[in-house]
Amino acid sequence: MKEPVLEGVRVLEIGGGIPAAYATRWMAGFGADVVRTEGPEGALTPDEEIYLTAGKRRVVADNETLLQLGRQADILVEDTKPGTLRTRGLDIEALRQERPELIVVSITPFGQTGPASQYEATNGVVFAMGGIMSLTGHPSRPPLMTGGSQAYYLGGLNGFSAAVTAYYGRLVHGEGDHIDISMQECAAGMLELYGAMTEYEKVGPIPRSGNHVRAVWGIYPCADGYAGVCCLERQVKAFFNLIGDPVLQEERFQDREQRAEHDDELQAIVYGWFLERTKAEIVELGVQHRVPLGAVLTPKDLLENESLQERDYFDSARTPEGTARFPGRPFLGLAWSPGELHEGGTDTGAAVAEWTGGTR
Amino acid sequence: MKKLPLDGVRVADLTMMWAGPYATRILGEMGAEVIKIESPSAWDNIRTLVPQPEATEPWNSSFYFNDYNRDKKSLTLDLAQERGREVFLDLVKHCDVVIENYRAEVLGKLNIDYPVLKAAKQDIVLVSMAGFGKTGKERGQVGFGPIIEQMAGLASLSGYGDDGEPYKTGISYGDPVGGVAAAGAAALGLIQRRKTGEGCHIDLAQRETMAAMVGEAFVAASLRGEEPVHRGNRDARFVPQGAYRCTGEDQWIVISVRTDEEWRSLAPVIGAEELTSVGKVERAERHDELDAVIERWTSSLDPQEAMEKLQAAGVPAGRVLDTEAIHDDPHLNARGYWVWLPHPKMRPWRQPSTSWRLVEANPQLRRHAPLFGEHNREILCDMLGLSEEDLKELEAAGIIADAPINPTVG
Repeated sequence: MKEPVLEGVRVLEIGGGIPAAYATRWMAGFGADVVRTEGPEGALTPDEEIYLTAGKRRVVADNETLLQLGRQADILVEDTKPGTLRTRGLDIEALRQERPELIVVSITPFGQTGPASQYEATNGVVFAMGGIMSLTGHPSRPPLMTGGSQAYYLGGLNGFSAAVTAYYGRLVHGEGDHIDISMQECAAGMLELYGAMTEYEKVGPIPRSGNHVRAVWGIYPCADGYAGVCCLERQVKAFFNLIGDPVLQEERFQDREQRAEHDDELQAIVYGWFLERTKAEIVELGVQHRVPLGAVLTPKDLLENESLQERDYFDSARTPEGTARFPGRPFLGLAWSPGELHEGGTDTGAAVAEWTGGTR
Repeated sequence: MKKLPLDGVRVADLTMMWAGPYATRILGEMGAEVIKIESPSAWDNIRTLVPQPEATEPWNSSFYFNDYNRDKKSLTLDLAQERGREVFLDLVKHCDVVIENYRAEVLGKLNIDYPVLKAAKQDIVLVSMAGFGKTGKERGQVGFGPIIEQMAGLASLSGYGDDGEPYKTGISYGDPVGGVAAAGAAALGLIQRRKTGEGCHIDLAQRETMAAMVGEAFVAASLRGEEPVHRGNRDARFVPQGAYRCTGEDQWIVISVRTDEEWRSLAPVIGAEELTSVGKVERAERHDELDAVIERWTSSLDPQEAMEKLQAAGVPAGRVLDTEAIHDDPHLNARGYWVWLPHPKMRPWRQPSTSWRLVEANPQLRRHAPLFGEHNREILCDMLGLSEEDLKELEAAGIIADAPINPTVG
């Protein structure tokens, strides 16, 4: 077994919310020594704490300790409100000057600069400001937040990838950097064709499309839940053949433009097709007929999913409530270790002694 | 001038559509030289996904294609022809990373899977990002973003709550999520190569990177058997929370109250002093009623104005920026987020800059998406040493081209 890719890399997590904790979770799994300093009470829910702290050492740090650890870190990931670290005696610029190889990743709702940088925010507020929410939900109802804490996780995901990219740069070029990640910007840069279309074609804001962008691109009720279809033009033919209704061979459904005008009629046909089939049947038919079909699976479904088991996807950890299972390695091909759960604060003495003990 | 982290890294980019190109857009932003490879007959359909009735070369003038493919070079190469495959393997010798988001079996069918690439370049980092991975029963499934979102558990967790219906995110959300993760995977592969001298094959399943975005729901399901709860725009901890209507066409603001203190700040702003002392438990019980009170206030205000008033009082609030308003958002503009980038065949428009703001290295958008085959000569002749004669032969065989052979497919 190869040495984990981030073996020996010291990562300091400050702030304790989802963005910083998610960014460093994968670093821990890939072998980094992640020291998580606890955030404010309730920064994570108990379930988030299980998922996001596995494999990390957990430290309670006063300002002096924080500075000591900061001086020993290779990568510092933080999600505190801009300005907070300075009040705790941690000056990022000074730290960077002292050790140019240091990488600092700050993940905040709106970034380190600009008029909204001091705004108060929650995941929901950031999701609204990132633009995706305006496109999500039924057109006749209010815009809808996607489930979970997507704005925060997206910030954490970008924080992870940016941090390891900068770490590669440090290995090659010798220097780190301070990376200012705005969670609003993480979302604003991925508005699919809708963002660019609004701007380029000056068509005004794009309305929400609910669960049906088009009849062949949406979610439908099926025999045992919900399932979906997602056809580009080149896959429409195979989908129509699969449905098998001869009416679909008529001009009004075959021609791309005419089809758009008869979308309601087509939706009714597709609706009927889904309703007669189960999620498992639909997924299977998709693979067989090369039609992009899927099923709305729940986390419980996925915990039993054969494909994921075959790929050994889930990590597990012992908790007082029993064994928890949750997403593990994000991809295959590099050594990953699941990691144990530590109680908050239990590693303070050992981690601080080790990092500051001059063993570097 | 400080170097960008991926300065000096060369990427052979076989990806198409969104997930893969989003990953390589990021690699380009971080300084890598990204060579986008398309076959003259099997090219990136994003180029013509949005009809452009007026355009003479629609494959070269798509805003959608440009959004994901700026800062890249374009090489056309038909990998299904043996000579094209040979040229590709020759190119791989000059590359650090190969990345692809084909369906699981395609790389093998083209006879350019990992062992073949490794034979061409011993320490190559290959990043594969099929929707469902290279292995497993479901590997053959077509993995578009919305399907990924459904098959990863996320759609089951989204919904208004009163009708049982799950909801899709308004974009093909699984794609960019897989893309950002793949960019990180490429960096990790490069770190490993730097440390050990060995490359690797990353097998990234977009479904798995998507499920990782709702990890706590798996904890809840495995420990307590929890089924998804659709909360609409409400939150279990922050009460009240919701999207409230403002003046203007389909304009909304999200307000999210974390603490009693924030509630005490909010109540007088919305003219509900009498509710100031209502505690969290009671706020949850009276959520519908409080929503109505809040909306009575927001519905006569512009969303920007409402947001600024609430933020001035220290209350978490953000307007639901639509695709137009987000381009005019004063904050994003103050941060220089939207950038004009000239294009030879398109009028200028504002594009998002990188979300990874390296404060010192300061990455900037460099160039519009490449025209079809724009860099054929540069790569084939200058880098690989092919002659003009070779180029003519490749052209005659349809292995390279400067326009799609089949422009109406899309």
